[in-house]
Amino acid sequence: MGPHSYDPGTAPSLLLWTIEIPEGSVHVDLHAGEATLDLHNVCSLFDAFTVPNSLNPLHPLGLVSGFMKSLRIEWSGIKSMLSFNNHSTFRGDFVETSARIELSINSPASKPPFTPAPEDGFEFEADPATTITNFAQIGHENNGSLF
Amino acid sequence: MRGISRRTLLQRTMGASAVLGSGLWAPGVAGADDDLTKRCGVPLPLPHTTAGPFGPLHFYFPGPIDGSLAPTDATGVHPEGRDPSTITNFEGLVGNVDLEFSGTARDTKTGAKAPYTFHTDSRFMIGDFIASDQKRHKGAFAFL
Repeated sequence: MGPHSYDPGTAPSLLLWTIEIPEGSVHVDLHAGEATLDLHNVCSLFDAFTVPNSLNPLHPLGLVSGFMKSLRIEWSGIKSMLSFNNHSTFRGDFVETSARIELSINSPASKPPFTPAPEDGFEFEADPATTITNFAQIGHENNGSLF
Repeated sequence: MRGISRRTLLQRTMGASAVLGSGLWAPGVAGADDDLTKRCGVPLPLPHTTAGPFGPLHFYFPGPIDGSLAPTDATGVHPEGRDPSTITNFEGLVGNVDLEFSGTARDTKTGAKAPYTFHTDSRFMIGDFIASDQKRHKGAFAFL
């Protein structure tokens, strides 16, 4: 099984790897330092196989649709609190936390011209207990013209 | 969700230049709020850019919002702050993570199973934003 890398692509506006989701898929309790992102059946994703291949407009490794059956990220456990204000474009109040992820995702089998060579289908099921948090935070912010 | 580290790859390839991005944008595919049916504008990217292998990328790597040094952001300090939102003209709640995790992968043709490790920088943004139509909207977004 080779590399797999999932992202929604880059918008014509150059908004990076960002998709609109149902508002009900996010729940936040800042005072408790807790939040969840819960997504199901997301098909507006690509398996670009590697990040450079995703960012390369020629996608030399090909590009196929991925399917995120489910994603759940949970933020919890306040480690620290931080407020910042640059007095012109960005201010926020955030809490740093730990996090845990559940993911079920897959890619179909593919063949030329969608990939340079035939590729078997791929399925992945995460073990949430293996989650290592390099960084996690939740908070409220204002930026740009809504500063 | 990347089988290999997005951060590491971007660091390895920084300095190269070319034209960015031919990815597709499919707003509302994952779901839609009521406001979407009335909206012609789209959310705009953060003005800040990080150098990528094929052109500038409109985001900050994860790290404290005060822009201080962070092991998750090899691009250094950001005195202007490290905005975790990928959307500009935004007011609302944001969450982001930089995680590594493992699980079981399966080849759907052979049925072979193997341990597999992913790295992810994932985020949500929910609140108000001024879209390209210069109007204020409500919405929720995920950076995946």
